[in-house]
Amino acid sequence: MNAVEGRGLRKAYGAIVAVDGIDFDVRERECYGFLGPNGAGKTTTMKMIYGLASVGAGSLEVLGMDVARQRREVKSRIGVVPQDANLDWELSARENLEIQARYHGVSPDGRIDELLRDAVLEQRADSKPRELSGGMQRRLLIARALVNNPQLIVLDEPTTGLDPQARLAVWGRLERLKEQGVTLILTTHYMEEAERICDRLAIMDNGKIVAEGTPRELCARYEQPNLEGVFLHITGHGLRE
Amino acid sequence: MTAIAACTLGSLPNPRMAYRVWRRNLLVFSKLWRGSLLPNFIDPVFYLLAMGFGLGTYLQSVNGIPYKEFIASGLVASSVMWAASFETTWNIYFRMTENKLYDAILATPVEVEDIVVAEVAWAATRAVIYGTAFLLIVALFGFVESPWAVFTPLFLALGGACFGMMGLAFTTAVNRIDLYSYYYTLLITPLFLFSGIFYPLDRLPEWTHVVAWFTPLYHLVQITRGLILGPELLSVLGNAVWLLVLTSLLFAIPVRAMRKRLVA
Repeated sequence: MNAVEGRGLRKAYGAIVAVDGIDFDVRERECYGFLGPNGAGKTTTMKMIYGLASVGAGSLEVLGMDVARQRREVKSRIGVVPQDANLDWELSARENLEIQARYHGVSPDGRIDELLRDAVLEQRADSKPRELSGGMQRRLLIARALVNNPQLIVLDEPTTGLDPQARLAVWGRLERLKEQGVTLILTTHYMEEAERICDRLAIMDNGKIVAEGTPRELCARYEQPNLEGVFLHITGHGLRE
Repeated sequence: MTAIAACTLGSLPNPRMAYRVWRRNLLVFSKLWRGSLLPNFIDPVFYLLAMGFGLGTYLQSVNGIPYKEFIASGLVASSVMWAASFETTWNIYFRMTENKLYDAILATPVEVEDIVVAEVAWAATRAVIYGTAFLLIVALFGFVESPWAVFTPLFLALGGACFGMMGLAFTTAVNRIDLYSYYYTLLITPLFLFSGIFYPLDRLPEWTHVVAWFTPLYHLVQITRGLILGPELLSVLGNAVWLLVLTSLLFAIPVRAMRKRLVA
């Protein structure tokens, strides 16, 4: 079974078409990446998956459920790491996780300590998010996305703005999740990130998927030495307006 | 009724989910209340001192009611309006727009309609806290005449919900924080001054009664005065129904506006 299936998926905001009829499948237990320039439609696609944007046209199934009809059920089984650190700024790191457990109606018990330990935030459990570094905030966001033991985690640019050490830590965490059998979908601007963690990639441009495959397949298909070459070959070298 | 609500809203709120969001606000409030309780709380006390003891020295009674008691019972109602309005304008703006708190909550099984119920219930909760605290002060001054006053908090919750729903409807529909002062200048302050808190409306022209009847604070003042100064139970219940109807009628506005803004 596929974890996510999009068919003819489309989303427009007024006259601006953000996602222009895309088809894609994300297989269970794989890491699927959306690559593309800013404004390509990656974030909108992600938001449709986790329910913060309605499906404009076409269909989108997540974990076998129609996201338009079974919003609560879908959201109870996925984890979300958004682009903005939308933590609860008035609560401590620990309380952020506890309140997330409450929203999901799961009993936190020992899990919160475990998640704080995994995120290397045990010493900062009582700090407010603003007292944490960018890397720590991102680790807390990932920990928050895991509170409900999700089968699928959606990450929108999980390492943007992080220093190399923090980025490596996030990659390590994602690789461990993949080993545990969690399906991952992420968007990224970093070719190295895509090459290292994604099993398959979709390159998006102007709301469309313009290429799809494993990193190796894409390099072979476009006769490029690496993903960056593939990306620039497909989306061009010029700046966008 | 449920069917109509489901048609206009798309889906109905889930009380359990709303409770979870309400608990979040309670948790935050439990840390901050010492700092935030005082200003809201002192405000009506100043009005009571300035008007009740200042003006009240010259003006002994209104319609047979000692003036200090007259305005004290009215100020209980307005303290609820101010508390619920601040909560659902500035505070909601910061949660929704600045902190993106609802984006995070909406990525869990909680839906927009649950957030609306939770925030209105929370505004009502805060309103009850402030209104009841002020009522206790009024009681300490000896301005409570009727034992029925013990039921006031129940109706303050209803008034708080009504003003909370109004504030939330405004905040979700109006995107710009610089327009928020209009809500106070053009709506809340006139309600405060013209809803029969400081003077009775019965000798004013007929049209002022008609205007007052359409405003929620007028009805809440009738309720608090009815309970605190003398049991006028039928009038209390009638005014309560009015508030309940307005609160229910407004519900679809913040739900739709918030949906349009956050999950469109």
